[in-house]
Amino acid sequence: MSTLIRPLAGAPWLQGVKDAIPLLGGYIPVAISFGLISIQSGFSVLETVLISTFIYAGASQFLFVAMAASGAPLWLVVIMTLLINARHIVYGPNLAPYLSEDKKWIPLMHGLTDQIFALAHARLPQLPEQERLGWYSGAATLAWFSWIGGTALGAIAGGELTQRWPLVNEILPFALPALFLVLIIPRCNNRLWSITIILSAATALILKIMGYPNMAIPLAAISGATLFYALKNQRFLGEH
Amino acid sequence: METSMWLALASIALGTYLLRLLPYLWMKAALTKKQMEGGISAMPSWLTILGPTMIAAMFGTSLVPAHLDTISWLATGAGTLVTFAVWTRTRSMGLPILCGVAAFGMIMLSL
Repeated sequence: MSTLIRPLAGAPWLQGVKDAIPLLGGYIPVAISFGLISIQSGFSVLETVLISTFIYAGASQFLFVAMAASGAPLWLVVIMTLLINARHIVYGPNLAPYLSEDKKWIPLMHGLTDQIFALAHARLPQLPEQERLGWYSGAATLAWFSWIGGTALGAIAGGELTQRWPLVNEILPFALPALFLVLIIPRCNNRLWSITIILSAATALILKIMGYPNMAIPLAAISGATLFYALKNQRFLGEH
Repeated sequence: METSMWLALASIALGTYLLRLLPYLWMKAALTKKQMEGGISAMPSWLTILGPTMIAAMFGTSLVPAHLDTISWLATGAGTLVTFAVWTRTRSMGLPILCGVAAFGMIMLSL
């Protein structure tokens, strides 16, 4: 991954907003779906919007409304949703070396979703230290607001929207794999990393197809990291 | 929503926030301590490996189309190839994603 530090031409927060725009293609259609499903599960518009505002974690929100609607014990709902979100524990430590001591980072950790982590992991090392807080604030705020806005839209008019433009819901989400691809491809700068990245992605894809969407990311990432160490220790593939 | 449901919602929201915040604070404190002791402040190597593999795994899961039919897979393949091809030329973020989505959309609409 390129670590060449380049100062930004404009305001850092604005560049953060610009860099996060591709996220909207993935966030808004999923948020609309969540809003719609939450209303169908018996939650009000306000409750639905509050869920997206404060939990702000896609997969666990879907699980929360589905389990709550099915009458599952609430302690189980809490445990299951937190287990799904447990993958987030590696995000903050990975970004820590690039973040200053500024206390503003503490509330900003609420915005550290999968996608913002992927974006920040690639972009923060390229920015001068004094521009990182502004950049992250812009990117994370746009993503958060788009998630909340999409949820509100889905809760209020989701049924009509998906009926009128069914393909928009199917086409725009491709922005997410395209974004992840451009974020991860610079890491494939030698054989060892290329094989690790390909195996991690393939494992995740297969696990999701097999019906394990929530376990796919952590299991595939651990498999990839294990392979990385196995290959590195065998020294078959040259220097890392 | 009943009080118990509000409590569940608050617990999940707080728990998720702490899952994001506490490991960051822990690592920040560890790095600062290492620096103050005069050592090189470096993350554990397994964490530097797990970060990129998590992003690769997100890429893998996000590739799975909503409907597992031939057209969707064809569109996914084309969108991925176009994104990669444009990235190799521009080394930027916006244009490769735009072209990838356009290629994906064109196949979804035309077949």
